[in-house]
Amino acid sequence: MDNKDKKTPLLVQMGIFAAILFVSQIISSLFPPTFVVPAPLIGMIILYLLLLTHVVKLSQVENLGDSLIGLISFLFIPSGIQLAGSLKLIQNEGVKDVVVTVFATIILLVVITYCGAFFIKIHRGLEKNMDKRGEQK
Amino acid sequence: MNGLATPFTGILISILVYLIGVWLFKKSRGFFLFTPLLAGMVLGIIILILIGKYMNVSTITAYKSFYKPGGDIIFWFLNPATVAFAIPLYRRNDVFKKYWVDVLLTLFIGGFISLFGIHMISKLFGLSRVSIASMLPQGATTAVAMPIAKSIGGDPAVTAMVCILNAVIIYALAEFLIKIFKLNRASKVGIGLGLGTSGHTIGSAKAVQLGSVQGAMASVAVVVIALVMDILVPIYARLFM
Repeated sequence: MDNKDKKTPLLVQMGIFAAILFVSQIISSLFPPTFVVPAPLIGMIILYLLLLTHVVKLSQVENLGDSLIGLISFLFIPSGIQLAGSLKLIQNEGVKDVVVTVFATIILLVVITYCGAFFIKIHRGLEKNMDKRGEQK
Repeated sequence: MNGLATPFTGILISILVYLIGVWLFKKSRGFFLFTPLLAGMVLGIIILILIGKYMNVSTITAYKSFYKPGGDIIFWFLNPATVAFAIPLYRRNDVFKKYWVDVLLTLFIGGFISLFGIHMISKLFGLSRVSIASMLPQGATTAVAMPIAKSIGGDPAVTAMVCILNAVIIYALAEFLIKIFKLNRASKVGIGLGLGTSGHTIGSAKAVQLGSVQGAMASVAVVVIALVMDILVPIYARLFM
């Protein structure tokens, strides 16, 4: 396919992300305030569709994209430090909130993981049945 | 000191505390409390408290004048980083094509069960109605969860804190939780969806490290669960609260 040695210049990669975010922002503002869909999520769908339709090639975004994903825990540092502004909130009533959040996070992780495993098991079971029926016919 | 109230201060603090976190994590051979995000965030908050004490202002003022200008610049890069999760998804498009029905079912039904679980645990701890309403939308990413919380009578500031904590908890504890709940025996698709839902984009980054299938599924989960919560939480709140 593409010549792998020929890297897309960083500025072009940044341009692609900037253009996607620009369009997403416009689309995002069309949703009503009761049904918020933030621009980055729309952007992710747009980039996915652009890759699927080969308008954007993987090689044109993957360098910058992979670096950004690799940096994501660092990019979250400001959000974490932002809690310095909520210290009062935590002191007053927040300890309970924090404990409940720990449980809630575990609930989300475990419930969704096992739900997913359950549906996939059914899916595979159905596939096997179909195969068997196919063989019998 | 007021000359230091520029973006560079916040950027420098962020990089410094994160690198100290990375160093601590290495030195402690991967002790979960020293994951760079958690250690860096705690160190950063301590630094701001100290600056506040030294300058005789509140921590919030210290945060707003010394940290926020730089912090916002780094924070902005979460936008393209979130967009970038289309890449791991596209790389394993075969998995999504095969299982998209299962993914939707899991996130709708699993999302509903989780809402019920979060509601019950909140009641068990005797949280106020406002706090419960702030807890419910946390499966969605911060930007989606905050307005949902507001619309059902919660406090968006609490919801923002909860969503950040989700990410911090998953980043620090994912391996441990996967081990004790034996999630490894569940399917790769399931783990991916679970991590994307519980830890948002940080969960997806974790999932990418675990494998390409997990990474792709976590990326899908971040988007789909946000839409699911947009729809489910108001209905749930009307029916059960």
